[in-house]
Amino acid sequence: MPPKVQFTREDGLYHSFCGLVSVGWLYQKIKDSFFLILGTHTCAHLLQNTLGVMIFARPRFAVSLLEEADLSSSQPQIADQIAEIRREHKPSVIFLLSSCTPEVMKVEFEGLAHSLSTPELPVLFVPASGLDYTFAQSEDSVLQALIPFCPVAPPEDKRVVFLGSVNDAIADDFALEAARLGIPVAGFLPANHFHELPPIGPGTIIAPLQPFLPRTATQLVNERECTILSSLFPFGPDGCRAFWEDLAAHFGLRIDLAEREAAAWERIREHTELLRGKKVFFATDILMELPLARFLRAAGAEVLECSTPYINRRFHARELAALEGVRLVEQANFERQLRSIAAEQPDLVISNIITANPLIGRGVVAKWGTEFIFSPIHGWAGVNPLVQLFTRALRRHTRLDPLGLDPIWTAGVMPSASGDVIPLAQQ
Amino acid sequence: MRLAYWMYEGTAHHGVGRVMNSMRGVHAVFHAPQGDDYVYTIFTMLERTPGFPAMTTSVVSGTDLARGTIRLPETLRQVEASRNPELIVVVASCSTTLLQENLEIAAQSAGVGCDVLVYDANPYRMQETVAAESLFTELVRRYAAPQPLTPHPSVNILGPSSLGFHARHDLIALRRMLAVLGVEVNVVAPWGASVDDLRRLPAAWLTIAPYRELGAAAADYLEAQFGTPALREAPIGVQPTLRWLHTLVDTLNELGAARQPATARAITLPPLTAFSLDGRSAPSNVPWFARTADMESFSGKRAFVFGDATHTVGVAKFLHDELGMPLAGAGTYLLKQAGWVREQLKGYIADDQFLATDTFQEVAARIAELRPELVCGTQMERHTARRYDLNVMVIAPPTHIENHLLAYRPFLGFDGADVIADEVYTTCTLGMEKHLIDMFGDAGLEEVPEHTRTVEREEQEPGEQRDEEPALSSAPQPRVTRSSPTEVQPIWTGEAEAMLKKVPFFVRGRVRGNVEKFAIERGIAEISAEVLLTAKEQLGA
Ligand code: SF4
Repeated sequence: MPPKVQFTREDGLYHSFCGLVSVGWLYQKIKDSFFLILGTHTCAHLLQNTLGVMIFARPRFAVSLLEEADLSSSQPQIADQIAEIRREHKPSVIFLLSSCTPEVMKVEFEGLAHSLSTPELPVLFVPASGLDYTFAQSEDSVLQALIPFCPVAPPEDKRVVFLGSVNDAIADDFALEAARLGIPVAGFLPANHFHELPPIGPGTIIAPLQPFLPRTATQLVNERECTILSSLFPFGPDGCRAFWEDLAAHFGLRIDLAEREAAAWERIREHTELLRGKKVFFATDILMELPLARFLRAAGAEVLECSTPYINRRFHARELAALEGVRLVEQANFERQLRSIAAEQPDLVISNIITANPLIGRGVVAKWGTEFIFSPIHGWAGVNPLVQLFTRALRRHTRLDPLGLDPIWTAGVMPSASGDVIPLAQQ
Repeated sequence: MRLAYWMYEGTAHHGVGRVMNSMRGVHAVFHAPQGDDYVYTIFTMLERTPGFPAMTTSVVSGTDLARGTIRLPETLRQVEASRNPELIVVVASCSTTLLQENLEIAAQSAGVGCDVLVYDANPYRMQETVAAESLFTELVRRYAAPQPLTPHPSVNILGPSSLGFHARHDLIALRRMLAVLGVEVNVVAPWGASVDDLRRLPAAWLTIAPYRELGAAAADYLEAQFGTPALREAPIGVQPTLRWLHTLVDTLNELGAARQPATARAITLPPLTAFSLDGRSAPSNVPWFARTADMESFSGKRAFVFGDATHTVGVAKFLHDELGMPLAGAGTYLLKQAGWVREQLKGYIADDQFLATDTFQEVAARIAELRPELVCGTQMERHTARRYDLNVMVIAPPTHIENHLLAYRPFLGFDGADVIADEVYTTCTLGMEKHLIDMFGDAGLEEVPEHTRTVEREEQEPGEQRDEEPALSSAPQPRVTRSSPTEVQPIWTGEAEAMLKKVPFFVRGRVRGNVEKFAIERGIAEISAEVLLTAKEQLGA
C-alpha cells in the first residue's frame, strides 16, 4: 500500500493549457507520425499561438476544423482528410486527438478511429480534450494508444524499457549509462519511429522518465504483466542515484552511486549555494512539479508550496515520500496562491507562461515552468541545465537594476491597468 | 470540414478578451474548458502585461458536465470579491455554447452587485474582429448617456485596443496632432476607458474612428443617436493626414459656429512645422525623400499588400501615391470588409489583382506566382515571403512577438508616414547597391555559396530559427523540416548552374524560380545553358 502522504485538493486549476499542446513535442519525437485534431477554430488558434510552427510548409499536425454545419452530424466525415494526409505526408501512424467540442457532441472517437484505420496506416484515438486533460497528460494518452503496437516480449526477455518522450541526446545518455551499468535495454516508449516500438512482456522493467504517465504504466502492468520501476524520477543528483540504483537492483545488480551523486552535487555547488535557504513556491501546471520540488529541497531550498495539476499516489509514491512535510496541493486555486505568495514572500515562484509576466509585475521573481518541459534536464547530464533553470532567474533578478516597482516604468503598457501596480509586499 | 493549418483571425473569445483587456474596471469571464485559458497568454506574453489581464476562465470540466455542476456563479462571486469590477461580461466558448445552458439564469443566481452582461458571441458565426466590434458597440449603446457637449471643441478616439496593430503608437500620434491643434480629447475607448468614460462619450463634438475593424460601428451609433459626426478616414500617409487635419478643423469650426452662443474658441491649422517633433521641421520627411534620386529605383519595385481592411488600403495607397511604387496586387482576409477594400482600391489595382480569402495557402500561392519586390502582409505572409526569399514587412495583424517593439512606431499621421517609409526602404534592397552589384556581379557581398545555401534552406532554414519559435515565447522549439515539392523539379546542368552563379545573389533565387517555372511549363526536364538563355530572354530576367 503506498504511504498516505497528505495533500490538499482545491477547486480547480484555471491557468493552464489543454492536452493538445503535447502535440508540439510529440510530432517531432515520433518522426513518421501525423497528429490530427478534430477540433474548432479555438484549437487551431491555441496551437498557432503556443506552438507557432504551423506556418512552416506542411507540419505533421493539423486541425480538422468543425464548422457550424458540421455540428449536427454526430459522426464527422474525415475520411477525405485522412486521405489527404496520407497523400501529402505519408505517415506510418495517425493520432486522432479529441477536443472539447466533439466531446460535447459525443462523437464516438474509438469507433471513428477504428473505421479509418487500415493495417498499413493505423489511426489511433488519443483523448486530449481540455474538458479532461491538462498539458502533458495527453502524452500519457498517446503512449497508451501505442501499447498494442509494442511487440509482446517473451517472459525470459528481461530488459528495461524507458518510458516517456525525451530527445535523442537524452535517450543516448540513458542507453549508454545502462550499458555501462550492465543493464540490458529493450528500447524507449515512444521510439523515434512507429515501427521501432520496443517489445514489452512479463520480464520487462518499465523505467518512467517522465512523471506524467501513470495511465500508460497501469495499462502496461495490466496488459503485459511487466514491472514498473518505483523510484525517484531521474532529475537531479539525488533522483539519478536512486533511479539507477533501483533500476539496477531489478537486474540483480547492487551498485552504489553515492560517490557519483556527491560528485554531481559538487559540480553544481556554485548553484546550490545560491539556492540554499531560498524560499520557492510552485504555482505551475507542467506535471513535473513533484520531482522538481524534491530536487530543490535536496539542494537546500525551502519549498513553501508545491502544487501540481494531478497527484497519483502510486506512481508518485517515492517522490511524495521524499516531499514529506512540504505543503502539497492538487488543482490549486490561483487566487488563493496569490494570497499565499503575498503572505509568505517566496524568493522564487515557478509559475506558468500564462502568469509569469504579471507575477514579475508584482515584484515576484518568477521562472516560467514550461521551460522545464523543453530542456534536457534528465539524467546525470541534465543536472547542470536543471539547476541553472532555477538559478538563472534568481541571478538575473539581482543583476538588473532594482526597479523598485515604481509604476512609472510600466505606465501605459497595459491599457486596463489602473497604473498603480501594487507590489505583493504591500498588500 | 477542412484541414486548417493557420488562421488569420483569432476566436470570438479572443475578440472579447481584447476589448475587456483594453478597459479599466471591467472583467471577462469565459465559461469554457480550462485549456481555453491559453488566450490569457497572448496578452501576458505579446503585450507583456505587468498586471493580470481582466479575464478569468470559469472552468467547465468533463466531471462537471457529468455531474451537472456549473461553476459560473461561484466564479462571478470570486471575481467580484478579488477584482471588484463595475461590469462583468460572460461569454461561452465553442464547446460550451453547444450545451444550451441558460447562462443568464446562472449569472443572476450569483447575486453579484455589479453589472453582468451575458454576451452572445456565437464562435461558429463570428471571429475575433466581429466579436470585438459588436461587444464594444453594445457597451457604448448600453452606457453612452445624453449630455451637453463640452464647452470647447473635443473629440473621442474610438478603436485603439489591446493587441491592436501598433495601437498604442497610433494613439500617441493622434494625441500629438490633436495637442498641436488644441483639440481636447474627451474619451479614448476601448483603450484605457472605464464604464464611466463610455457614459461620457456623447459630450464630444466629433468621433475619430480610424479603424474599420474596431470603433467604426460605435461611431455610427453615436452619430445616429446623439448626432456626433465622425471622422472615419485613417490618416495613413502624408496627403491623407493633411486631408484628415483639414476635415477635422473645418468640421469642428462649423460645429462651433453653429452653437448658440458661439463661445467656443475656433481651431486654426498652425504652420505644418508645428507637427514635427521639434516644432520647426517638416512634419514628415516622406515628400522630399520620395523625390530623391535614390528612390527612383522604387518605381520599378512591385508591391503586394495583404492584411486587414484599414492597413491594406492605407498602405497600398501610400506605396502607390507617395512612394511611387507599382502594386502587383492587394487583398484582405476580412471577408466582410472585402467589398469596401476592393472599392477603395479601384484605380490602384485591376479586379483580378484583388484577393479576398482567409486561407493562407491561397495568399502564399499568389505571392509565389507574383514574386513581388516587396510583400506587405501579416505574420503569415512574412513566413511565405521568407520562404521565397522575398522582401517583406508586417503591416497588419496577426503579429509575432517581434512586431511588439518598444520604440515609437505609429502607422498613423505624419510620424506614421515616416515609420512606414523607413520600413519600406530598409526592407527592400537598397537602390544604389543594386546598381553597383548589377554592374559588377556580386562584389564579394555573398558569403555563402549559393548552392549550399539553397540546400540548407530546403532542409532546415538556417538562420530562420526564430520563425520556428512559438509566437509567444522564446521557448526552445524543435526544428521543423520542409517536405519536398510535389512537382518534378528540372535538373540544372553544371554549365547552366555556373551561369546562374553570375546573376547577382539577391535576385538569383527569383531567377532560379522563374527559369524552373518556365521549364516546367514547357515540360523541359533539364535546364541547360541554352534553356537558361532562352528563359532569361523570354522572361526578361
Ligand atoms: S480546451 Fe478544448 S476547445 Fe480549447 S483548445 Fe483545448 S481542446 Fe480545443
